[in-house]
Amino acid sequence: MKPFVFTLRQEPAHRVDLSGLAPDRISGRSAAEIEKIEIGTTKTVIRVGDVFRVDTGDPGVVRFEGGSSRFDLVGSRLLPDHSVHVVGDVGAQLGRLAKGGRITVTGSAGAYAASGNAGALIEIGGDVGSFLAAPLAGELGGMSGGRVIVRGNAGMRAGDRLRRGVIVIEGEAGENLGSRMIAGSVVALGAVKGRIGYLNRRGSIVLAKACDPGPTYIDCGSHNLTYAGLLARSLRSDSPRAAAVLLCKLRRYGGDTAVYGKGEILTPE
Amino acid sequence: MSKATLDGKAIPLQDACREAARILGGATFPVIAGLGADVAGARAAILLAEQLRGAFDHLASREILADLDVMRSFSMFTTTPNEARVRADVLLFVGPGLSALWPGMLERLAPGQPPRHGAQAGHPRRVFWIGPEANEAANIPATVIPASCDELSELLAMLRARVGGRPVAGDDARRTGIDELADVLKNAHFGVVVWSASSGIDPLAIEMLQAMVADLNVTTRCTGVPIGARAGAAGVTQTAGWMTGFPPRTGFGRGYPEHDPWRFEAKRLVESGEADAALWISAYDGEAPPWSNNDLPLITLSPAGKEPGRGLYIEVGKPGVTHDAVEFAQEIGSLALRKSHAPTGAPSVAQIIDAIATELRGEVSC
Repeated sequence: MKPFVFTLRQEPAHRVDLSGLAPDRISGRSAAEIEKIEIGTTKTVIRVGDVFRVDTGDPGVVRFEGGSSRFDLVGSRLLPDHSVHVVGDVGAQLGRLAKGGRITVTGSAGAYAASGNAGALIEIGGDVGSFLAAPLAGELGGMSGGRVIVRGNAGMRAGDRLRRGVIVIEGEAGENLGSRMIAGSVVALGAVKGRIGYLNRRGSIVLAKACDPGPTYIDCGSHNLTYAGLLARSLRSDSPRAAAVLLCKLRRYGGDTAVYGKGEILTPE
Repeated sequence: MSKATLDGKAIPLQDACREAARILGGATFPVIAGLGADVAGARAAILLAEQLRGAFDHLASREILADLDVMRSFSMFTTTPNEARVRADVLLFVGPGLSALWPGMLERLAPGQPPRHGAQAGHPRRVFWIGPEANEAANIPATVIPASCDELSELLAMLRARVGGRPVAGDDARRTGIDELADVLKNAHFGVVVWSASSGIDPLAIEMLQAMVADLNVTTRCTGVPIGARAGAAGVTQTAGWMTGFPPRTGFGRGYPEHDPWRFEAKRLVESGEADAALWISAYDGEAPPWSNNDLPLITLSPAGKEPGRGLYIEVGKPGVTHDAVEFAQEIGSLALRKSHAPTGAPSVAQIIDAIATELRGEVSC
């Protein structure tokens, strides 16, 4: 069956909330009904039809032909076995609270991408904004499952309060990578700025480039870790470069000892 | 009598209010920014933002949210300065410039005097200061742990590790001072940490500090005194809280309050073109807006002498100086009435915004 396609007519003047276009929300509705759904976030009424041309198809496979940095909440609350594909950029909170499924964005994503993700595989072809996989203001936990692959660079505080799941950043990472991590894994292949793993409890941060982890990470020597080999195998199809780093002999820094010291930063020898 | 100008030329106050109402009423998504005002001014501004279905942000939101993020996503022990003065047997100041951010700090906390209550009463207070400015701690009996602003978060991490008896790497020369401080805090009856997000420490470092306070409370007592941000920030935050349930950086675009520190940051809203008009309020010190977009229709409310050359300007008085004002008083940790000591008759922010709101409703004002 052909996918359900939203083709960009014109970029909206204001941010739009696309959480109403989740596959389970458009299922069984006609193109005319969907074009009437309000997606505006200001007093100006913006409807789906003002921004997109709608071609109905399998609601389990949604495509956006054309994106915008004003498209917030794309793929939010996505369910397992569903997929969303965006040709272009997206705005804030991509894949917010997704339960499963697959989200791919060929362009860049805004702030809070993968926030609260609980199981989706999210792939971002370009760069991603600040607070990748982080909790929103006032929330206690970050991403709790699934996988995020960023081919470009990430903004500051990627992986903040990460609880479970894997984040791979193939480009550079902004300041405070892996801050307040609870658990889970973050792999960064490019350069990393500033503090790393500040307030990290039990999370694993893998850095392809050597770093100074600061005084609250203790050098535990170099190891061939079984766990790293398993993670490498699971990452092989999504990010061969990340898998290659994990197969190296890794120097382990245990920390953040300010918290429990049960987390770690791993870098190849 | 208030002064109003349009692109530098004087116009009558009523015309100015009408013009302001025209600009804001015609905008799709106006932002009320700056918000440097007393409680009445903040109340009027937030009501106006709701009426306009715009957003509001405070000029010191970064500092406000640094403390608030720790409180709402972790936890925060705080007390009033007076409680710290009478009970603290250990005082720990963190960061540079605290005595400039709160000029009455040393007088109120009296670090040189012993505490008066509890088992610690009468024993001399131990005072530590991590990273003060040069000579800032010279007049108090403080043990200084020197640190640049960049080193503070690292030192706080080391301190928390040592309070918990966990190791830190290397033979850092700073270890001795940190170990001594960790020991003193653990053996204190009532430790108090004093910090300010305005001194440059970030939310993660504040979380580290507060996490150490939480760790200490397992075996003894320890708490904190935060020094609030400038331009009425603490009072505006409380006002926003009781009016909307949220702090600044809240929008009413969909008719109900939504809080998003990223989306409703005034500078981002203006520079991205999402906001199409701005009301900038800086009644305390007449700060200029932080954005670079000069084409945006702009209405400025600030005190005499701080008139911008561009846009619509309406002069307002300084809260607590030229008119009586309720604002958050750092010295007592509560809202307080400040009597004016140099009244000029210049209107308050609340009076001007009420006049604009009246014009918006199409009623006769002034």
